[in-house]
Amino acid sequence: MIKHTQQHKELHRPSEILDTLIHLGFGAAVAVPDGWLGEILVRIEQEPSMRLVRATHEEEALAIACGLRLGGVRTALIVQNAGLLSMGAGMVCLAQRYQFPLLMLVSYRGTAEDPVFYHIPKGRATEPVIQGLGLAYVRADRNRPIGPQIEAAATYADESSSPFAVLLSREDIQW
Amino acid sequence: MVSGARPSRADYYRVLASTLPSQTLVVTALGNASYLWAAMHHTPENFYIEDAMGLALPLALGLSIAQPARRVVVVEGDGALLMHMGALVTVGAVNPDNLIVLLIQNGVHAASGGQALTSPALDLAQLAHSAGIVRADNVATSKDCASALNAAFDAKGLQVLILSTEPDVEVVRPPIAFDPVLTKHRFMAAIKAPRYVPTMFGGGKLEGE
Repeated sequence: MIKHTQQHKELHRPSEILDTLIHLGFGAAVAVPDGWLGEILVRIEQEPSMRLVRATHEEEALAIACGLRLGGVRTALIVQNAGLLSMGAGMVCLAQRYQFPLLMLVSYRGTAEDPVFYHIPKGRATEPVIQGLGLAYVRADRNRPIGPQIEAAATYADESSSPFAVLLSREDIQW
Repeated sequence: MVSGARPSRADYYRVLASTLPSQTLVVTALGNASYLWAAMHHTPENFYIEDAMGLALPLALGLSIAQPARRVVVVEGDGALLMHMGALVTVGAVNPDNLIVLLIQNGVHAASGGQALTSPALDLAQLAHSAGIVRADNVATSKDCASALNAAFDAKGLQVLILSTEPDVEVVRPPIAFDPVLTKHRFMAAIKAPRYVPTMFGGGKLEGE
């Protein structure tokens, strides 16, 4: 268990996410861009202990992540919630059917805190679709340190042998 | 094989089985790509995909990154490639030097009964070249396949071979259980992949064999 500082309100939450991934031995991340994700992906690229793979589509990214995990590398999948909507077949036919533990870090666009007109339809559909897929998930709590939440999610994924999604706000993930 | 006809999938698989170096990891796509390979050359180092069309190639890419010391061969279909053509672009961008991609080009969706492809005669080697893959070749005979595979196994580097093939729509019955979790665990045990140790045992991380 990581010993997280008590002065969590002073912590930079995206840094805390990256530090947690490194501490937990995540050797790779597979990503498709979103405006909130740009800088953390660059930071992962600069991190010597991690490998970033930039995919062209979220379902493709999911499969790359499954392959990395099959090969023994703990892997995070970093996508926008649009990607959760478009990866459904791969989620159920590959990741869930073969029971791949994957930590999914998802920028949660189109919520009441992110009322961008073209994101709103995705925000409205995201949690019902996740529930329909039978995907375990949590919406990150902005009032608690993010590191322990990421650690718990990663632990859930591995101990359940299944993907687990963390829905993240701008403050959580945008560097 | 009838003179003038394209080789069958089984013809190419016989060549693959006879040229495959030990320790090579093989990922096969849905349908007969997996069923026939299991019937002809089952080993724990095979990872059989069922359904999940178009995801064999990206999964093999991830595996090749995770296992840089092992050669990885993936057998993907032309219809599957069309479904996730972006994966070819990602493969070209990553350029793993231990990945060999065998694209079965039979011009149909064989796994769904031979239905027509959107575009059955694309130059897939040209597509691969456009994706930044230097070594991509069209192959139309078993003999050329043997030469190309021997060359690919002898030298490091990403290689794509497009295998012109007669469609095989009759489903092959595999000789083993196709349980997905069994397939995964058998494969991971064979390559001695690090395993997750639960937190109640003081773990919480992957630990090597």
